[in-house]
Amino acid sequence: MSQRGWDLLLFYGDGWRKDLFRCLVNVSFAGPQAVAILSRNGEVRAIVTDAWDLEPVAAAIDGKVALSLRLVDGLRALLTAERGAVVAINGLEQMEARFAQAVREGSRAALVSATADVEEIRRVKTPAEIEWIRTAADLADRGYEHFVRVCEPGMTEFELVAEVESYIKSNGAEDNFMLVASGGTEVTGMKPPTARRLQPGDSVTTELTPQINGYYAQICRTLVIGEPNAAQREAYGIFSAAQQAAQDFLRPGVDISDVARVQNDVFRSRGYGDYTGPKYTRVRGHNLGLYPDELPHVLENVHYLCKKDMVLIAHPNTYLPLSGYMVFGDTLLITDSGCVSLSKTEKKLFQA
Amino acid sequence: MKRGLIGWDPAELPRAALEARLAELHRHIADIGVQALVAFGDVWRSNDVRYISNYMPYWNRAFTVVSPGEAPILLCALSPRVYPWIRSVTLHETIVPSPNLVAQLGKLCTERGWTRIGVLDHAGLPYDLHEQLAAEKLEVVDVPREGVRPTASESELGMHRRSAKLARAALEAELANGAVGLTDRQVTGRLERALRRAGAEDLFVLISNGRTPPVPAGGQVFGRQSSVTVTLEYNGHWARVSRNAAGLTSPLPPTQGETVHLQTLSRAGGWEGIEQTEVAPGTVVSLQVEIGRNGSRLYYGDTCVQGRGTVEVL
Repeated sequence: MSQRGWDLLLFYGDGWRKDLFRCLVNVSFAGPQAVAILSRNGEVRAIVTDAWDLEPVAAAIDGKVALSLRLVDGLRALLTAERGAVVAINGLEQMEARFAQAVREGSRAALVSATADVEEIRRVKTPAEIEWIRTAADLADRGYEHFVRVCEPGMTEFELVAEVESYIKSNGAEDNFMLVASGGTEVTGMKPPTARRLQPGDSVTTELTPQINGYYAQICRTLVIGEPNAAQREAYGIFSAAQQAAQDFLRPGVDISDVARVQNDVFRSRGYGDYTGPKYTRVRGHNLGLYPDELPHVLENVHYLCKKDMVLIAHPNTYLPLSGYMVFGDTLLITDSGCVSLSKTEKKLFQA
Repeated sequence: MKRGLIGWDPAELPRAALEARLAELHRHIADIGVQALVAFGDVWRSNDVRYISNYMPYWNRAFTVVSPGEAPILLCALSPRVYPWIRSVTLHETIVPSPNLVAQLGKLCTERGWTRIGVLDHAGLPYDLHEQLAAEKLEVVDVPREGVRPTASESELGMHRRSAKLARAALEAELANGAVGLTDRQVTGRLERALRRAGAEDLFVLISNGRTPPVPAGGQVFGRQSSVTVTLEYNGHWARVSRNAAGLTSPLPPTQGETVHLQTLSRAGGWEGIEQTEVAPGTVVSLQVEIGRNGSRLYYGDTCVQGRGTVEVL
């Protein structure tokens, strides 16, 4: 902050992007927004917009917490007291314009986004953060085991999600990011669950992403209802090889674009290179942490040199005409010389 | 993300009800002299776009664009691979892939010859979109939400009522069936199962152990002084209900001076704090009461609609 000339650094979170607040004050706030305020001298304060957040946030920061049902009023009061401080905001892009305007009016300089700076700090995890992600990865493993156990023909997608959510929450997750899909070659992607009933022969795909103490880990696996056919097995072989290529390649200093490339090269070598682009897939993985889809994304046109203690998932999830949409991925921790998978679930095409 | 059942049951929300909303929006567009109305939505601020077209931004950001003479247009950053499903549960026929929402909106305006557009709650846009929009060659008119959605319609009240009924039924069944003695995480898990199987689209469970306000489960034993608050979204309509293991109730609103936690469920996001003096008739609110009893804090509350000097539990 001193180098950049910032007097105050605000961490703005809302009901979707709580991580932007939690990276300074690790409380899952209940209100629509919350702002943590870091002063250059290290003092931490907060403004919350829900009375139920006062006590947990105060306990977490051992400092002053103000309740303001309308955040704009709380920000004005803060900036009036600070008399024209230079302010940077983590999460400025997500902040409602009326809140940003209130900050700008009380600051003696133009608004500055600190999001990219904070993201860079967040990318490399501390030992404590790695332990939380390890615990989340363990729960993802157990959650997927439960997924396989309860999945059966006749069940709707949303009933399956309900069972898995129940298991994951009962076992300590505070949240979960989860997409599913079921069916055959007509399935082109995952989405929230529908009322479609699972049928013999279906591929059932999921990204399961439990959150422990704020931190997400993810596992992606595909399951077939009944005996997989030859095409499903062939497709699985491609996904498995692509994920393994990424896992074998990932280490400090490699460009994230090459982590995508080694996965896509497996598809290219099998004649499916057309299915590695945006028409059929989104990303070949992404960083993990307090948000389930952190940057950098693993894409051939994204360049970022990987660092030790980053945690990311490599998942070559895409559509293939062999099988429809298929998924496969593990949470990977970058070590001194390579990476280790925090996911312990067997690497195979599951059956139910 | 929202990961419950997102659907469209015409028996619950008839197409005619959505079309009537659109017709009203078209009249409003004419009244304020703009060529199109733009509403923003994301995972948290999903209510406006859901109201207009039944689109639920389960992930990412979106604009719904309404203009007389054509079906509402969806600009969203989700992959075209999910558009067939989106079309099946919304009014949208035209969905435009929009990794850059404002750039795509600008392109759409150019194609249609629109130079003056209304933005629903313009100052509520995320800062990056707001700034980017300011740089477009467009005249942007702020359209207050109150002018577009002044009060909840009968169909909306019906959906909030359904949502509250689901929450009450699950909570009361859970408390009657051995919740005491379980961990708060187990109670949360059981409610997740019951409510997501019943069709909840989104769900938040908070638990008080009698010494704290309602907070996310932390692994404590659910005791006789504990309370549960369920916040549930069913087909785009929110409800919040609190019950306690001791079975204490309270009039709503309370008459004994207890602490009241009042929030509106009628704005862009799921819930938002509001002062009693700001609650207009027809507003759907969450009214949760903290009941002091023998040194403990117990919670009881429900989802209500504000009348003229009265409150009706939905």
